[in-house]
Amino acid sequence: MTQVNRRSQGGRIDRSRPVRFTFNGTGYEGYEGDTLASALLANGVRVTARSFKYHRPRGIVSHGPEEPATLVELDGEDASGNRPVTTVPLKEGLSARSVNCWPSPGFDLGGVNQLISRFIPAGFYYKTFKWPDWHVYEPSIRRAAGLAGAPARPPSSGHFEARHAHADVLIAGAGPAGLMAALAVGRAGKRVFLADEGPEAGGSLLNRNLTIGGRPAMGWVAEVLAELSGMENVTHLQNATVWAYREHNLMIVNERAPGRDSILERNWRVRAGEVVIATGATERTMVFGGNDRPGVMLASSVQAYVNRWGVVPGRRVVLFANNNSVYAVAADLVAADVDVAAIVDSRDDVPQVALDLVPGVEVHKGAVVSGVKGRKALRAVKVEPRTGGGGAFIDCDLLGCSGGWSPTVHLWSQSRSTLTYDEALAAFLPDTAVQPCRAVGAAAGELTLDRIVEGGADLPYAIEPLWRVDVPGQRDKAFLDLQNDVSVSDVQLALREGYSNVEHVKRYTTGGMGIDQGKTGNINIIGTVAMEQGVPLQDVGTTTFRSPYTPVSFGAIGGLREESILFPYRHTPVTQWNKDNGAVMYEAGARWRRPGYFPKAGEGLQEVVNRECHAVRDGVGVYDGSPLGTFELKGRDVPKFLDFIYTNVMSSLTPGNGRYGLMLSDDGLILDDGVAFRLDEHRWMVSTSTGHADAVNMHIEELLQTRFPDWQVMITTVTSQWNNATICGPKSREVMEALGTDIDLSPEAFPFMSFRDGTVAGLPARVVRVSFTGELSYEVNVAPRHMAELWDKVMAAGAPHGILPVGSESSHVLRVEKGFLSLGHEVDGTVDAYDLGMGWIMSRKKPDYMGKRSVLLRRDRGGDRRELVGILPEDPNRQIPEGSPLTPGGRKEATEGVVTACVWSVIQDRWVGLALLKGGRARHGETAHVRLKDDVIPVKITNPVFHDPDGVRLRS
Amino acid sequence: MRYDVTTERLGLMALFDIQGDRAAVAKWVGDALPPLPERPNTRSSGGGADVFFIGPNHWIARAPIEREEALNARLNPTDCPADISIVRVSDTLTFFRATGPEAAEIMAIACPLDLHASVFGAEAVTHTEVFGLKALVLRCDGGFEFAVEQSFGDMVEDYLARALA
Repeated sequence: MTQVNRRSQGGRIDRSRPVRFTFNGTGYEGYEGDTLASALLANGVRVTARSFKYHRPRGIVSHGPEEPATLVELDGEDASGNRPVTTVPLKEGLSARSVNCWPSPGFDLGGVNQLISRFIPAGFYYKTFKWPDWHVYEPSIRRAAGLAGAPARPPSSGHFEARHAHADVLIAGAGPAGLMAALAVGRAGKRVFLADEGPEAGGSLLNRNLTIGGRPAMGWVAEVLAELSGMENVTHLQNATVWAYREHNLMIVNERAPGRDSILERNWRVRAGEVVIATGATERTMVFGGNDRPGVMLASSVQAYVNRWGVVPGRRVVLFANNNSVYAVAADLVAADVDVAAIVDSRDDVPQVALDLVPGVEVHKGAVVSGVKGRKALRAVKVEPRTGGGGAFIDCDLLGCSGGWSPTVHLWSQSRSTLTYDEALAAFLPDTAVQPCRAVGAAAGELTLDRIVEGGADLPYAIEPLWRVDVPGQRDKAFLDLQNDVSVSDVQLALREGYSNVEHVKRYTTGGMGIDQGKTGNINIIGTVAMEQGVPLQDVGTTTFRSPYTPVSFGAIGGLREESILFPYRHTPVTQWNKDNGAVMYEAGARWRRPGYFPKAGEGLQEVVNRECHAVRDGVGVYDGSPLGTFELKGRDVPKFLDFIYTNVMSSLTPGNGRYGLMLSDDGLILDDGVAFRLDEHRWMVSTSTGHADAVNMHIEELLQTRFPDWQVMITTVTSQWNNATICGPKSREVMEALGTDIDLSPEAFPFMSFRDGTVAGLPARVVRVSFTGELSYEVNVAPRHMAELWDKVMAAGAPHGILPVGSESSHVLRVEKGFLSLGHEVDGTVDAYDLGMGWIMSRKKPDYMGKRSVLLRRDRGGDRRELVGILPEDPNRQIPEGSPLTPGGRKEATEGVVTACVWSVIQDRWVGLALLKGGRARHGETAHVRLKDDVIPVKITNPVFHDPDGVRLRS
Repeated sequence: MRYDVTTERLGLMALFDIQGDRAAVAKWVGDALPPLPERPNTRSSGGGADVFFIGPNHWIARAPIEREEALNARLNPTDCPADISIVRVSDTLTFFRATGPEAAEIMAIACPLDLHASVFGAEAVTHTEVFGLKALVLRCDGGFEFAVEQSFGDMVEDYLARALA
């Protein structure tokens, strides 16, 4: 079959460039400039799809993004699903398949659904598949419902791109109104962003034979484009759909052919000073029995295929309308030597100016199409008076319908601007804008060219709405929403069952949902609801327009963010060393990638952790503590500010010394723990946990900007100005000495919780004596430019002592053995310092500090609180999953606590844990019970410190 | 087709975070740096150094790394008066440079800010986002420079390589 429906001339296609493609496994040929839809119609393919629920044969209905009936799945490098056939540009080697049919749309086993269609109306599954559980049926129902799956593989080359842009004016649509707007704004020197969804500018002018100033309208388009292309202030994109209108005039545009080989699609985020919505209007279908049969199309689409693609979708055409626009269609068809058998006009009075366009065509006034012959291909339509009675069939193979025009107000409505129903146009029009935007042209209800461009010649528009053909005896289903198989009877059922609001009707029937978002059928649903309820359409209202206006690839939304940059990640100068030495790397808060553990060949996780922990407890280990948040504070008011944000007193510190502290939030819960050091009279250094560094920074900034704007406190983030290697373990002093330092390391000269500036291994360093492991520790801070060198020297100096790098897993064990708290484990957003046995850190000297009042109020209410305890499983070899609940006696009762951590202790040589337990501190020595799904684990309640309870080792 | 852009990860630069009362800062800094810029989100340059006006009473001074110790000695962060803060932050930021005819294309991918010459001129400098990260952005000859927290440097290189692919 070779393009039997192609006209011998005409159309905006390149006949010198044939294009071969396959559809459902059959080879065809089209031309450069075709869409898949126009090429299929040119080749006489009538049945192109099966419907969503009933699997009825469907053909191509429209010519643009409004296509409700035929979705295709593309194969190979173009792999994608659910593409409206009318929006797929034809290219050499294209391979496409219909969705939702097997083995083919011509013979589809799913078509058996048509036999039981009366038993599966809208919402049938809500009522039917209840027992024993909806989820038993859900997978097979979802498989049966017809949409394509996601591609199995990404494209083998190329990538998606997302980018930003800014404009004084964004214009959506490059039809006549959009081009006029672009000219005006461009000439005024404003920055213009003009985006149009089609491959070529011109909008409806591409499909019609109109004139401007007596010359072909496309000549005017060419002149405008030439002028725009000379303006540096104008960005003009074709194949670019404005698919979302967000707050603050943020518009999102999907560009499908960016013109660079490596870029598959580009997503623009455009911030516009003003938005001009020139999106045209969409023709709607007529609603009558059998209005979905292959061969029933939108009238304007018939016109578009004839004029734009040189394709005649049928040999003998009947047109059915309630408005004037169909007469211009008929005139174009006659001019193209297409046999127009009749125009069926539901109006009793047709304007003479319309009739004058088609002098030789039979017009049936006050009549409707009430039925069709032909299941897979139209053979005839039944025409009878609008009020019913009598009628006769007219033979034809193509029916072009026009139920009137709906301004394309999707973007307008997405902006949350309002709509109003216009009786004269029988359509919803833009009303009040709530963002800086305006609608122009057909999108604003100016439906003819003469009202848009000076000198434009067009047939005046007039309509008498007909929301559905309402004559008795229609045997076939009358569809309102072809894509979702929603018929008039479905809407009537929804209304009978009490879903009277149009939003409820939408959800009950699914009318207006899906890929096409009800572009051709939504207003017919609203009209049907209005008819059934006897109210004006304005009172029924519209459903909410949502983005995307047309389908958008997920890849385009994501842009570059995939694979290694799907999430942000941070590194330290030691990251590569860690990887080179076999570390298993983890995300460790605030996007830092840190080593979890350093396995040797054949070692399991627990063996590695035990080895690293033994090194710290018995010899020496080192970890990269660089990610800890670090801030330098300066100013006369820093001491009183720190006294406010920490629960204990910091202002009494003398230069060179530091103190551990807790920060609370306003509600008295623990925000962070860390240390503060006084560098000199007015300079301080504050260290926070890794994961909360940004939160603490924001917390401090907010307080300074809102509560204490007059306090002299200046904060500088120095997290990445200081990296540190923390050398920990009883042998750490020997390692420090081996490194060589001008700092006196003796406990008397350099005690716990102090710092010294000096040199270590010949590098300028700040050494801090803090400990997160419970062992003697030196946190050696250097500039990142020196960190890799320091690390190598530490490993070399520690080698004689068996130094090991320590990962996050071992750090967790070491801190649990010591009973040190961890945010996210023991600090779970419910406990306060008293619950953790840290009442000593809640100052009684200070009149106030952040969160104090909330803590006291809560504690004054009394009641049992969950308190930190240690737990020892009765079976020392029994591990308890972290997060396990504790219940009274292990019974199925309300929990009395939770296991926050459980580790194998190298000190205790057994599993030990920490838990938050109701009234826990008074229950030391008792037995509590961990309740698991299939087991109960008795545990002994203990003090939460399993190692060096007096802190002798860390102060050594 | 690659974007016609050259990107480069720059080496360390001498950076100092300076905060405090404008007059006090000007008095302490003296002629060690170019004069403080008058307008927020602009910079002043001179003698191979720049001063970026990045917030209320907040500046960043930038100079070649070779001048770091001399500037440190001259600015004397540890002994400056209580009402100003000077902190050496040379290691905290990694600078990147994108130059070439399509440098703006790459910046459009990376940065949500309007960097059109009509609103972001030669003297402009500001904190914004680059690839979702807090970043300092400014113009340079033939393109743009931007700085991110240095721990994100590898990731930004990764991003740039993908954007340019």
